[in-house]
Amino acid sequence: MSVSAGIVLAGGRSSRMGTAKAALEWHGSTLLRHVTGVVGRAVEGPVLVVRAAGQELPELEPGVVMCDDREEGLGPMQGLAVGLAAAAEHSETAFVCSTDLPFLHAAFVRAVLRGFEPDAETPDAERPDVVLPFVHGYRQPMAAGYRTDLAPRILKLIEADRLRPAHLFEECAVRQLDDAHLLSDARLAVADPDLDSVVNVNLPDEYREARARIAPEVVVERFGVLATSGGGRGRQTIQAANLASAAEQMGLKLDGHVVAALNGDQIRGDGRVPLMRGDTVSFISADAGG
Amino acid sequence: MSGVVTPPGGYFGQALVVDVTDGSTTTVPLPDDVLRSYLGGAGLGVWLMNELGPAGVDPLAPEAPLAFTFSPLVGTPLTTSAKFAVVAKSPLTGLLTDALASSHFAIAGKFTGHDAIVLTGRAAAPTTLLVDEEGVELVDATEEWGLSASDAEESIRERHGRRWRAASIGPAGENLVRYATISHDGRHAGRGGLGAVMGSKHIKALAVKGGKRVSIADQEAVLAAAKDLRGRSFGPATEKYRELGTLSNLLAFNAINTLPTRNFQASTFADAPMLSAEDLAESRSVTKNSCASCTIGCEHIYASKGGKKVRVEYENVFALGPMCEVSDPDQVLDASAKCDALGLDTISAGGTIAWAMECVDRGLLDAPWLRFGDGEALLRVLDEIGSRTGVGALLAEGSRRAAQQVGQGSGDFAPHVKGMEMPGYEPRTMQSMALGLAVNARGADHNRSGAYEADLREGLDRVRGTDEHVRAAIETEDRAAIMDSLILCKFLRGVFTEPFAEWADLLSKVTGWDVDETELRETARRIVQAKRAFNLREGWTPADDWLPERFLDSPLELASGRTATLPAERLRAMIDTYYVERGLDADGRPLVHTIAERESKV
Repeated sequence: MSVSAGIVLAGGRSSRMGTAKAALEWHGSTLLRHVTGVVGRAVEGPVLVVRAAGQELPELEPGVVMCDDREEGLGPMQGLAVGLAAAAEHSETAFVCSTDLPFLHAAFVRAVLRGFEPDAETPDAERPDVVLPFVHGYRQPMAAGYRTDLAPRILKLIEADRLRPAHLFEECAVRQLDDAHLLSDARLAVADPDLDSVVNVNLPDEYREARARIAPEVVVERFGVLATSGGGRGRQTIQAANLASAAEQMGLKLDGHVVAALNGDQIRGDGRVPLMRGDTVSFISADAGG
Repeated sequence: MSGVVTPPGGYFGQALVVDVTDGSTTTVPLPDDVLRSYLGGAGLGVWLMNELGPAGVDPLAPEAPLAFTFSPLVGTPLTTSAKFAVVAKSPLTGLLTDALASSHFAIAGKFTGHDAIVLTGRAAAPTTLLVDEEGVELVDATEEWGLSASDAEESIRERHGRRWRAASIGPAGENLVRYATISHDGRHAGRGGLGAVMGSKHIKALAVKGGKRVSIADQEAVLAAAKDLRGRSFGPATEKYRELGTLSNLLAFNAINTLPTRNFQASTFADAPMLSAEDLAESRSVTKNSCASCTIGCEHIYASKGGKKVRVEYENVFALGPMCEVSDPDQVLDASAKCDALGLDTISAGGTIAWAMECVDRGLLDAPWLRFGDGEALLRVLDEIGSRTGVGALLAEGSRRAAQQVGQGSGDFAPHVKGMEMPGYEPRTMQSMALGLAVNARGADHNRSGAYEADLREGLDRVRGTDEHVRAAIETEDRAAIMDSLILCKFLRGVFTEPFAEWADLLSKVTGWDVDETELRETARRIVQAKRAFNLREGWTPADDWLPERFLDSPLELASGRTATLPAERLRAMIDTYYVERGLDADGRPLVHTIAERESKV
């Protein structure tokens, strides 16, 4: 399977929130940067952000691709079509979500994208166009997987004034993943047992409540001189929403000489990289010579 | 005007060539443009090999030259500059090899009045070659033959005087083990079998003594630069080397799935903590040491259970520990000490032994005692390799040749590139490094391509190699070409913010040339090209720029849930991009005009 892209739809009006959701503060960063960071940690293809033409967005990670949605007032289907069309040159599939999912977990994104892979139980089943989580009794079209070649079909639906995702689902192969199916993924079951990944914030109270939750629990470890020069060895469990917070709690500074590996995988040095429940953060010296 | 040409600062403008068959010497002039084009160290070495080495020569034949090259910075107060290169056609790869070592030998050797000392011929009996300002002398080395390199060094200094500094071989070099080392003061010019080349000439040691000072173009400016560099060398960029040494890589690499284990069958080792610098530093006494003219002091010497003092580096421990699945620190330290005493490259020794252990596992090799995890077997087989007895006769050939003899598909998991065993960087999880290992002139090598740097910084997905990874690998290869020719220790590299510009400035102050960053970058490319041109002359083929099949057909599962794969087509694409970026033809050969350009420089 080719790599999947990530698409974050940032173009909504945020009218119920009363302020742009994308720019809401999130543990020293912004909600949009946090969500794009989470998606970026889960997909191997590019991360695209779809915004309304002229919409100002907070600073994002280098490498995030901006796409302008020039048609106003057509709802998420229009943004979805723009994002999928842009992603099609890189990837066959994409995880698509809205900006307002503060507890989105990379394990959820991966579990959804795995829905595109042939199922061992039904290997001959039709290849899905959409992998649609059905969580807490609701469809979750703004936290779902889509084939990127759906863009032309979505545009035709828009032309026909069929503007709801449900209209798309009527016309393509949808693989629905319910709570039990999603939680059969062992990593997701540990990382997000309540499937909070789909909890969105639309109202100021919802945002405040979400923001008041404690930061996710992560395991940190230090190696080499970072451990021996006063830092201490061994693993520790702490609460940290991003890499900077984890580093600070460990008495470290991400100054170019210190980097972190997340779950033994990617090397990161940007303090704003979001951390998620269950992460293991390994702080190492940036210089590996020898 | 007299006919005497004054060499640039930092140089004597000449190489001494000694035929050890009879002690006759010739002096090869090194004109300004040669020195400016190739600098010294590894760069000057490849120029000398292209000039003096007969095409197609057997590396162990008397005609094959063995060059000890110095550099313009040797003898200056610049920190980490007391280094020398040893360069020859490798008996392990059949291609170029250049290995660096350091300390007083570099200073004494250069102050004999030469920028390089080249050995050719073959002595009739075990011999030590003495070189000083006055000339050369061949002296009987029967007493030293059979000794470890360090014992031989001590013996030579006892016999001839403490001012002599010697680079010696151990028994492995005498027995022509294809990955034998040459060492000085415990530091090895380790890779590629240079010790076997010296052993083939029946030379136990090259001893040097010199007091001939070299001129420096701007002494005051060099002193100021040295003071500044010294200050910077105490900063965070070198803390890791100062405080724990290179072994501090071990646990970090284990945490990021890049610690080669069980002959690259895994990328993590459950017992890694037992071998870590962090554990060793807590559990046993450690002495720190440094090379001459060095302010970093990366050397960490640990005591083993038997009371031996063992100089420990990451590569030793990775190769003799996780690669062979040996987790007892005393056995790993003893194995490392044994390699030092025999004069064996630990990386090639560990890689070849790990391959043999896998062969035994698969029933391909009749040595049932040689099993993964058996530290006693590790110690026994090292002795057999050093003396070329038992299964050691096969393994002394290195994993490529041994696999050719064993056959039955064992070449697919022989951990080498171009015949040189792989260092401790898992290529599937470090794909900039994968390219660097595949295309490097010396073979699987982490010192001429430091592409792991790119893999360990933010911005590149280290398990999905792209053209960006290629460009990062080229940049590190170019930096290495300059650092290995100036010569400055790589452990200093983190202190330079604008490395090419800063190195150009240092070189200008020493030599009096007006070198800038652009010129130095061009010099780097020239040196890399010259190595490739030498290899082409010696029979390199495009198939040599490749990785063992194991890395291309076996995925590695990461703790993150991702899978690290390096499909052949991705490696091919990266190599193709490398050829384009390097100005090579589609098969990786230097284009005619680039060769002509290189030659026009000299």
